[in-house]
Amino acid sequence: MKWVKDWYLSDIILLALIGVFFGIIFLGTNYVYDILTAVFAPLGLSQIPNEILLGLWCMPGMIAGYMLRIKGASVLGEFLASVVEMLFGGQWGASTMISGVVQGVGSELGFTLTRYKHYDWLGLAATTATTTIVTFGWDLARNGYAKLQLWLLLLFFVVRFCSMFAFGGLLTRAITSLLTRSHVLKSTHTNTNVN
Amino acid sequence: MNPSFKILFVLIIALEISFTSIVSLNVALIVLAIIYLLAHRVPIKTLAWLLIVPLIPAIGLWSTQYINGTGNNDLFAWVLFTRIYAFVFTGAAFTLTTDVLALADSLEQNCHLPAKFAYGVLAAYNLAPRIKHEVQVIRAAGLMRGQTLSFWSPQLYFKAILISINWSQNLAQAMTSHGFVEDAPRTHFRIVRVHTKDWLLLIGGILLLQVGIFLVPWR
Repeated sequence: MKWVKDWYLSDIILLALIGVFFGIIFLGTNYVYDILTAVFAPLGLSQIPNEILLGLWCMPGMIAGYMLRIKGASVLGEFLASVVEMLFGGQWGASTMISGVVQGVGSELGFTLTRYKHYDWLGLAATTATTTIVTFGWDLARNGYAKLQLWLLLLFFVVRFCSMFAFGGLLTRAITSLLTRSHVLKSTHTNTNVN
Repeated sequence: MNPSFKILFVLIIALEISFTSIVSLNVALIVLAIIYLLAHRVPIKTLAWLLIVPLIPAIGLWSTQYINGTGNNDLFAWVLFTRIYAFVFTGAAFTLTTDVLALADSLEQNCHLPAKFAYGVLAAYNLAPRIKHEVQVIRAAGLMRGQTLSFWSPQLYFKAILISINWSQNLAQAMTSHGFVEDAPRTHFRIVRVHTKDWLLLIGGILLLQVGIFLVPWR
């Protein structure tokens, strides 16, 4: 259980707190989602809003991986966010936790593939790509995407990638550069920077 | 039922129905979950709310599949429609009948989850009402300076993360100063036990689910 030692109590609380904060901010997007879904439903394209907003929901994992730079930070960050959402009475019940793990593993893979060294555009592009691919694979089964027509699948995939890039790439980068400029990240790296 | 066992069972159900396409099974799970919820005296109003909230996404999934699906799209549309509700009601059967503190205790004592994870998440969860208030404060502070902070504004998340960093360190310090030692063995005031009944319910439930998926000739 070596990985347990990498995590300090304050890191765990930090990720959970970020999960709660983001969860509460995302609550405000629910009405956007509902209205758009209702608009697209008669066309049979009602997954479009889901695809547009998915990048937002995957952000806690990406930010956690980018900020803490510990192996497993993305998985844990996204998972904790989903657990908190479920306990809040999020509408998707236990399947939220499964989605959380899937999204977290997706984001983590990007950092793994760049060997936890590229906390720059390359790392963000990689995590954007892997999150898109992994979550899409999961939706092939869960949301029945495997049974859809090919053009629609391609459309969903492209929209999802753009959303991941906009929120997971651009917005994450904007947030983390604000954090870097304010020099707060040092104090969060209790594992590495204190000694 | 032991909270850890309950969450495990609900997770297994969610995972298995993600890969099956049996409408009647989904409906059966929904009905069972509703009976369970009613037996635990969950108000009818809450149940009605659970029916209304997922309606738009469920119709969305249904129409996507119905209009643009391939193969047996009519059937699959209903599979997805009922699957959403099965997720919602089995999930509610867990969240609405389980105390979060009991879950944390059980995960720590029965599943040997390191105490820092159980209590760390619990600490953050208990701050939720204050966090809700804090988000409003951040937005109001932005408005005073003529900035509207929306869900796409980096500043909103930036300030949220700043507060999280601050609070996480304060909370961790507070816990340590109250005698919490990371990775040290703990004794327990509230003891959660696993009874034979829990094992029987879990194994029985899982077996019943497999019977429902593989053996019952649903039409």
